Amino acid sequence: MAGILTPQLLRRLEQFQLLAARRAKSSSKGERRSRARGQSVEFADHRNYVVGDDLRYLDWNLFGRLDRLFLKLYEEERELPVRIFIDCSESMMFGTPPKFDFARQVAAAVGYVALCGFDRVAVCPFPEARPVDFDDPARFNLQTAVRGALRSVRGRKSAMQYFQNLTALRGGGPADFNASLKRGAMEARQTGLAIVLGDFLDPGGYEPGLNALIGRGFEVNVVQILAPEELNPTAFGDLRLVDSETGALQEVTFGKFRLAAYRQSVANYVQRLREFCQSRGMGFFSVGSDTPLEDLLLKQLRASEIWA
Amino acid sequence: MKFLAPAALWFSLALPAVVVFYLLKRKRVTRVVASTLLWQRFLAETQASAPLQRLRHNWLLVLQLLLLSLLVLALARPYFSGTEATGKLMVVVIDASASMQATDETPSRFERARKDALGLVDGLNSGKGGQMVVLVAGANAEVRQSATSEKAALRRAIEGAKVTDSPTRLVEALRVAETLIRDKPEAEIHLFSDGAIPELSEFETKELRMVFHRVGKGARNAGIVAFDVKPNPEDPAKRALFLSIANVHDQPFEARVELSFEGQLVDTKAMHLDATNTTPIVFLASQARDGVFTAKLVVDDDLAADNQASVVSLLPQPVHVQLVTKGNRFLEKALAAAGPNVETTVVAEPAPDAKPDLVVLDDIEPATWPKGNVLSFRAAPTNWFEGAVGTIESPPIVNWRNTHPLLRFVAFDSVQIAQARAVKLPPWGLSLVDAPQSPLIVAGEVGRQRIVWVAFNPLESTWPLRISFPIFVANAVEWLNPASAKSEQFLVKPGDPFRFPLAASVATANVTGPDGQTRALALNPLATEFVFADTARQGVYRVQLGTNRLAFAANLLDAIETNIRPRDSLDLGRFAQVKATTEKKANLESWRWFALGALGVMLGEWWWFHRRTA
Repeated sequence: MAGILTPQLLRRLEQFQLLAARRAKSSSKGERRSRARGQSVEFADHRNYVVGDDLRYLDWNLFGRLDRLFLKLYEEERELPVRIFIDCSESMMFGTPPKFDFARQVAAAVGYVALCGFDRVAVCPFPEARPVDFDDPARFNLQTAVRGALRSVRGRKSAMQYFQNLTALRGGGPADFNASLKRGAMEARQTGLAIVLGDFLDPGGYEPGLNALIGRGFEVNVVQILAPEELNPTAFGDLRLVDSETGALQEVTFGKFRLAAYRQSVANYVQRLREFCQSRGMGFFSVGSDTPLEDLLLKQLRASEIWA
Repeated sequence: MKFLAPAALWFSLALPAVVVFYLLKRKRVTRVVASTLLWQRFLAETQASAPLQRLRHNWLLVLQLLLLSLLVLALARPYFSGTEATGKLMVVVIDASASMQATDETPSRFERARKDALGLVDGLNSGKGGQMVVLVAGANAEVRQSATSEKAALRRAIEGAKVTDSPTRLVEALRVAETLIRDKPEAEIHLFSDGAIPELSEFETKELRMVFHRVGKGARNAGIVAFDVKPNPEDPAKRALFLSIANVHDQPFEARVELSFEGQLVDTKAMHLDATNTTPIVFLASQARDGVFTAKLVVDDDLAADNQASVVSLLPQPVHVQLVTKGNRFLEKALAAAGPNVETTVVAEPAPDAKPDLVVLDDIEPATWPKGNVLSFRAAPTNWFEGAVGTIESPPIVNWRNTHPLLRFVAFDSVQIAQARAVKLPPWGLSLVDAPQSPLIVAGEVGRQRIVWVAFNPLESTWPLRISFPIFVANAVEWLNPASAKSEQFLVKPGDPFRFPLAASVATANVTGPDGQTRALALNPLATEFVFADTARQGVYRVQLGTNRLAFAANLLDAIETNIRPRDSLDLGRFAQVKATTEKKANLESWRWFALGALGVMLGEWWWFHRRTA
């Protein structure tokens, strides 16, 4: 894993901890407070002793005063499942630098912070890898393996493997954003933090997918990544534009004098997405793929208390 | 709007072709983008998707359609006003008199008339044998272009016409025009004028088919209508200059009159000119030598040509009067009172060697008739009158012509005459005082000799007892004085020839006009008279004839020209009238405007194209 993230950045990231507004609902042990009762040093409650309870947890002091048996309950510390949705469709491969590279870097950073905090990281690249998108069956098999490995990662020692898998991740083909998110929401056994990385330029819209994540109980953060070419087009004249995913044609006559109008309509689109996210309590970030990574990770995410 | 070439409207079929070209797919550069979603949003926000609306937003197409339709319209040769081409022959008469210089039309009435006439040329249906003649009525009627249907020549003729300072001389031009349209039922005269025309009664019975195109809007004008110089009766050393200044505007003017002698300002007077009034003004100025007095009216009005007048003033010379009488104290007294410069010699018989300026014959028929000017009471040589000379007893005075300078301030109200001679009015003379049977006072000119003939002996009438008698004698001395006749000949109307008798033969003459240009003229050595006709501009002309220097002035001094109020109709005598037309009967072709518009649209499209690609 040569440089998906710089060592300096990794050191900075090690100091962060993901902040979750809600208590973890995971079933596995971790380092986060949860509603579950179990073994830890944090006292939570008492309850009546029933036969079969472990005598080690009896509160002897209370028994001495009240002559009744109570059991001491402790807060169980659980892990925070972090689910990272990465748009791997054809449209993410565009841009200088490619939007997909930026998305992988963000995924690596978020995953690393989670791994350092003993949280479970699940990366859900969508669309599913299809044999037609890869010219070589061996590469398709590799992709399947990589995606399988990214499905559940835990522990700081897995970080290097995690980075390598992310680096090996390839994308392509058309994506159905909403269907992918819905399935991802259903698959998750425990809810937790969900990070959605993509360009949100799906012709089917983005509302049902995001609503499905919210409905499942995820704490959703959306990072929209747009290419610089999409923000400031450089092609002018009479154009026939071909959509990289759907193959749809769009004829447009474009000149510098319409640049301002185009920027305005892009801003309108981003604003609509932002308003949609904010109205549902999702965190929203819109960045260009040429944005410095540190700016997003160390400033924007921190400022909106994704981690601290 | 109608079209001379409606077939050209078929070209408008090209309009849908342009639209089709726009609807056809344009050659586009194919480019793969991540997603067309943003572009779709952009297009949805900036334009509607229906093809018609897309066309509406395509300014380039709109410009091209506009350009094409303008060109098609121009090809169809549109014209305005629907009358058929009038008249096979149109005689265009353009008034080029001084009043046409008025600036109430922009830039001037003459330019406006010229423009209207050019519009008439545009409407000339030359294809159907329509012809046009261009006459310009300035100082004299000038045929600028004889009958032709060639529009370029007609335009050249109209554009080459120049306005003059002369009074209106439309009669001549209309006379020419009338002969041109005579016996041509479709011919028509088109007169472009402001209607400041003195007298057209000549055409009363001619059934002139005339369209009067009136130009002019207002009457904001004041001008000098009379200017005369006289010896000052109270102070012989000074000259009295009489001016009449007319204001034809319905608002009063505040003005200033500047009098200068030979270019040097002598006097200036501020004046209040009442609305539609004529104001007299008198200047007194001393004069040391012969020269030119110029009066300049400084006023803000629409016509400048009548704001200046000049008069040549010669120093008064003594008048030698020879009175041939048997004794008439009334006459002697009257002559003595006629003026300070009058030197009277009383003789019984005219001396042949004496050369008086004028001779007064008091009922004496001399053996040799004097060659000079004569005031004759009763006596008449046989060659003055035709037919027999009779006698009438106590003729009543029924009429006198008090506008004549001889009868200025003279009235015959209570004059009785015992006996007078009865004659037939001679062709050379003008009857100033009439009895029913015969003229009683006749004034005129025989050869170069001025004559005033009174048909009765004043001693046989009550006239010498009336105040009018000495005034008449003084007027007669003034009128008969060769010097005053001489000073009159130095005043001409613009356009009138200046004549000057030559004592000796002169080879060349140099004339310096008011514009400062000097022209050398070669004269016929046998000529006894110098004639200079190019006096279209008003002002002072200086002539050098051999060693003789003289000056003469061309002055408008015309109340009719000064009154620039445009007339609604022209009176042809008492019964006929031509109303001013305001509607244009001509077919004014306007394709030039459409072609000009097309050019403008093309330039606009060029600019648009460069803005797009910049």
